[in-house]
Amino acid sequence: MPEKIGVYICAGCGIGEAVDTAKLAKLATGELKAASVQVHPYLCGPEGLALIRQDLDGEPRKVDKIVLAACSPRAKTEAFVFPSELVVERVNLREHVAWCQPPGDEDTQMMAEDYLRMGVTKAQKAKAPAPAAEAVSRKIMVVGGGIAGLTAALEAAAAGYEVLLIEKEPRLGGFLASVRKRFPGQPPYIELAADGLKARIEEALYHPKIRVLTSTRIARTDGQPGQFDVTLATAEGELADRVGAIVMATGWKPYDATRLSHLGYGLSPDVITGVELERMAAQGPIRRPSDGKPVSDVVFVQCAGSRDPEHLPYCSSVCCLATLKQTRYIREDSPEAKIYVIYKDIRTPGQYERFYRAAQDDALNFFTKGEVTRVETLSDGRLAVTVTGTPLGADLVIHADLVVLATGMVPNSADGPAIRELKDNQLKVLHSDSAAQRAEAARRVEELKHHENTEILNLGYRQGPDLPVLKYGFPDSHFICFPYETRRTAIYAAGAVRAPMDGARAEEDAAGAALKAIQAVEMAARGEAVHPRAGDLSYPDFFLQRCTQCKRCTEECPFGTLNEDAKGTPQFNVLRCRRCGICMGACPERIINFPNYSVDMIAAMIKSIEVPEEFEEKPRILVFMCENDAYPALDLAGYHRRRYSTYVRVIPLRCLGSLNIVWIADALSRGIDGILLLGCKFGENYQCHFVSGSELANRRMTNVKETLDRLRLESERLRLAEVAINEYDRLPALIDEFASHVAELGPNPYKGF
Amino acid sequence: MAETLLVQPDTKFLREVIGSGGADLKKCYQCATCSVVCTLSTDEAPFPRRQMLAAQWGLKDRVLSDPAIWLCHNCGDCTTHCPRGARPGDVFGALRREAIKYFTWPRFLGRWVNNPQMLPLLVLVPLLLFGALWAWGPEADSVYPGRMEFANQFPIPVLEALFFSLSGFVLLSFAIGMTRFVRALRAGGATAPILANLPGTLAEIATHRRFADCGAERTRYWGHLLTLWGFVGLAAVGTIVGLGHMAGLVHTPLAATSPLKIFANLAAAGSLIGVAILVADRAGDPLKRTRSTYFDWFFLIVLAGVIVTGFASQFLRQGQVPGMYLVYYVHLVLIFLLLGYAPYSKLAHFCYRTVAMAAVRERREAIMLENRSKGS
Repeated sequence: MPEKIGVYICAGCGIGEAVDTAKLAKLATGELKAASVQVHPYLCGPEGLALIRQDLDGEPRKVDKIVLAACSPRAKTEAFVFPSELVVERVNLREHVAWCQPPGDEDTQMMAEDYLRMGVTKAQKAKAPAPAAEAVSRKIMVVGGGIAGLTAALEAAAAGYEVLLIEKEPRLGGFLASVRKRFPGQPPYIELAADGLKARIEEALYHPKIRVLTSTRIARTDGQPGQFDVTLATAEGELADRVGAIVMATGWKPYDATRLSHLGYGLSPDVITGVELERMAAQGPIRRPSDGKPVSDVVFVQCAGSRDPEHLPYCSSVCCLATLKQTRYIREDSPEAKIYVIYKDIRTPGQYERFYRAAQDDALNFFTKGEVTRVETLSDGRLAVTVTGTPLGADLVIHADLVVLATGMVPNSADGPAIRELKDNQLKVLHSDSAAQRAEAARRVEELKHHENTEILNLGYRQGPDLPVLKYGFPDSHFICFPYETRRTAIYAAGAVRAPMDGARAEEDAAGAALKAIQAVEMAARGEAVHPRAGDLSYPDFFLQRCTQCKRCTEECPFGTLNEDAKGTPQFNVLRCRRCGICMGACPERIINFPNYSVDMIAAMIKSIEVPEEFEEKPRILVFMCENDAYPALDLAGYHRRRYSTYVRVIPLRCLGSLNIVWIADALSRGIDGILLLGCKFGENYQCHFVSGSELANRRMTNVKETLDRLRLESERLRLAEVAINEYDRLPALIDEFASHVAELGPNPYKGF
Repeated sequence: MAETLLVQPDTKFLREVIGSGGADLKKCYQCATCSVVCTLSTDEAPFPRRQMLAAQWGLKDRVLSDPAIWLCHNCGDCTTHCPRGARPGDVFGALRREAIKYFTWPRFLGRWVNNPQMLPLLVLVPLLLFGALWAWGPEADSVYPGRMEFANQFPIPVLEALFFSLSGFVLLSFAIGMTRFVRALRAGGATAPILANLPGTLAEIATHRRFADCGAERTRYWGHLLTLWGFVGLAAVGTIVGLGHMAGLVHTPLAATSPLKIFANLAAAGSLIGVAILVADRAGDPLKRTRSTYFDWFFLIVLAGVIVTGFASQFLRQGQVPGMYLVYYVHLVLIFLLLGYAPYSKLAHFCYRTVAMAAVRERREAIMLENRSKGS
């Protein structure tokens, strides 16, 4: 049955002045064979919407696919709402044509017509997605029973969700259960909070929605969001359960102080870490470990092994606060003790500046910037601490009877991909054919050995048993503006395992992660994607008969969506999928396609562009544009009425990583003169919404360059640029510069073939 | 290799500074905004941040022997700009007082003069002394029969003997204090030849160039300039008349038209205007710029009192008003407070500041000159 497409053209917001909408309507009825075409000066108003509804209300419907030639798909989303079984395509005549091109111009009209052709073509090829209907568990598993885990469990339970709270230690509470006092918790943030975690631990233990399992580890986590099948190793033996989402709140451990011998650790029992002091304070008065006598001179060494390329390069954000807190303990126990704090900078993120001030006000607390260069023992058993680089202009020697090293936080995480690589290489050492390969594998095994037996979640994922981590070992996804997200769908990190933080921030973190987990199970239940394509019902179909087991899709998926069978054929897990299409871009066989986003669809859109003959001197430039950042940036350029070349034709992509290189060949053989790829920033501080999409696209350029060589074309006809969402003012110049460069190269020799 | 310092905080000193004038000392978090905004601070020997830290840590010897606390002219820029409210200007005021107490001789007088509780005792000494002289002094009219003259109240030779011996004690006290101070400065590394630098330093003080550089309000510049010059004028006249009288060259009372008398009156008037400006300055804006302590007020009020009672005595005498003896008695008591307690009161700052400026003069001169040529 041929599709019945309705084309609705808006003439408002300056579109009517810029282009001839009657001609567009004629194009739609004639060449594009639309079943219904309407032009309205105010399409998003009640009258305009009624016009569209008229075509939908009949039985059978007059149209079953809708093309709205109006404003950007990012605008008027609340007005243009249609039943989900309909295909709806938005053609951006406002931001991308009327607001950025000279009105009434021939080229402007051509641009609008091309966009209409592309939009209608896309609608023709698209099918409305049917949601993946799967039965899901709404139970939330919280891993770790410290402040973050307890809070996440209580928050999720308070929202009505079943919670499975597991803790590897015999008792709940984590680090904060064993401190004398907590940081100030309420205004004016000066007095230490006496309450530890007791009330919260009891609340969790007796909550009807929370099942607490202590002395428990995860033996295995199989499946996908909504259907995680976990096998738990408890004190009483193995236990299986099904959960929908996971909050990982495994906390932190102090940096290994035995590596800080240059600061005197190990030299004397009177050199201890902040965590050791905290333990001592929780159990009784603070005394010299060597002889149990009260302390009179205490030196705190801040950033001990932190912000140091040799140790932890980052700031743990709590060591300063812990030291400030511990000066209070010492003052409680030894009112006349002198306390020296040697810092790089005192940092008090959160509400703690007044707390710092209060500590400063203590006449016997001595703070200075400086660097401890030496800790030695004196003949009387005391310690001599040498400090350099103070603003005093002299090196200081402080005689102390207790030296406290404020060490940083190391996340209790596990590097899934590294563990996977270790195991792969261990297999290679045993089974590889060539000696060179075996030697290389043995070298990697040696390098990765410290990952042995570090698994926490034990995920049954092809990409490894745990979350991928960033370079300091934090499993944060690094999604801009989206904390808690990790690179495994429906698994959220919260608390100090995500980033160094104090208890108060961990509580906020836990509440946020619990809400994300709830959102994840609810969306999984509806078959919808979670962030960043929240609510998307489409998912890719794998035409596996033609699969060559090249494994590109399983390797490149940033979210570990795909497992493999023994032969290496991908096994798709729809609820893990974020619907970015990176697998579609990766597949050389083009067998991975969405119902409403496919290789064939984009190829058809490219073919629908009218390419003028060479003598007309109207080059065509195709812009593949990431719809997350670059596309809105171009919209913004439109809002600001910035002009750019009329020769560009924009095709938005779900992610630049979904770019299949066949489109490049399609475009060039069609006579397109230049192709610009605009994606998010990649590299260390990447901004890609799908973590690695723009980086993968950049890598695929190598292959594309080969294609160009094969076609005997200049490789400068193709360019990839990184654009951030706020760079709208840079975008027109970037496009124009590329357009003039393409003009210099001359027309595509394949034009007209 | 920087020098090494064994840290032994003097907590008594620290509490003393915090307790009187430097209450906000511990708030300093070493950002160095103060050293940046200070127009007198130099890159080579910046202040006040470093001294703030030394004071915070109770490093008494180090901070009190640092000439920088005297290079500060108390404009208050650091205090107004301090983001932490640590009031470096006030802390420096307190440190200067502590330095005077620390270096002076005898030290107990340094403590007494700066302790408000001891004020009655300190006032009682001249009250009794001059009261006794008045009581046992010459019979009324015995020296100048038929007229009320101060010579009828106090025997001039006794007053002269008294004030010259008091001056001798004060000079001795200053000499010992300065010796200690210079020794400390030397140990602290201020090596410029002080005596050779004195003329230049004094010229600089005479023109108040530092005050002008200081960026403080002009009122304070004029207030201090007038007070200083008036005071110097009065001291000079007093000394000349005293010596001249002893030598039989000058006869008191001086005629109202005598050049010395006219000069003395001009000097007194100038000084009074200066003091009035300084008092108004301190009283008018107590929190924003500079906080005033007992140390400041004792000196300013005694100085103002000396001049006011001096004028009053003179006019009452001319009018032959009977209250003149009482006023003159108060005048003498106040002079004793001003002169006798000079080595321990704020007045001593002229000695310490002059010596400190001379002790670092070459280096600073060179730097300031260089900065000026760069700026022009």
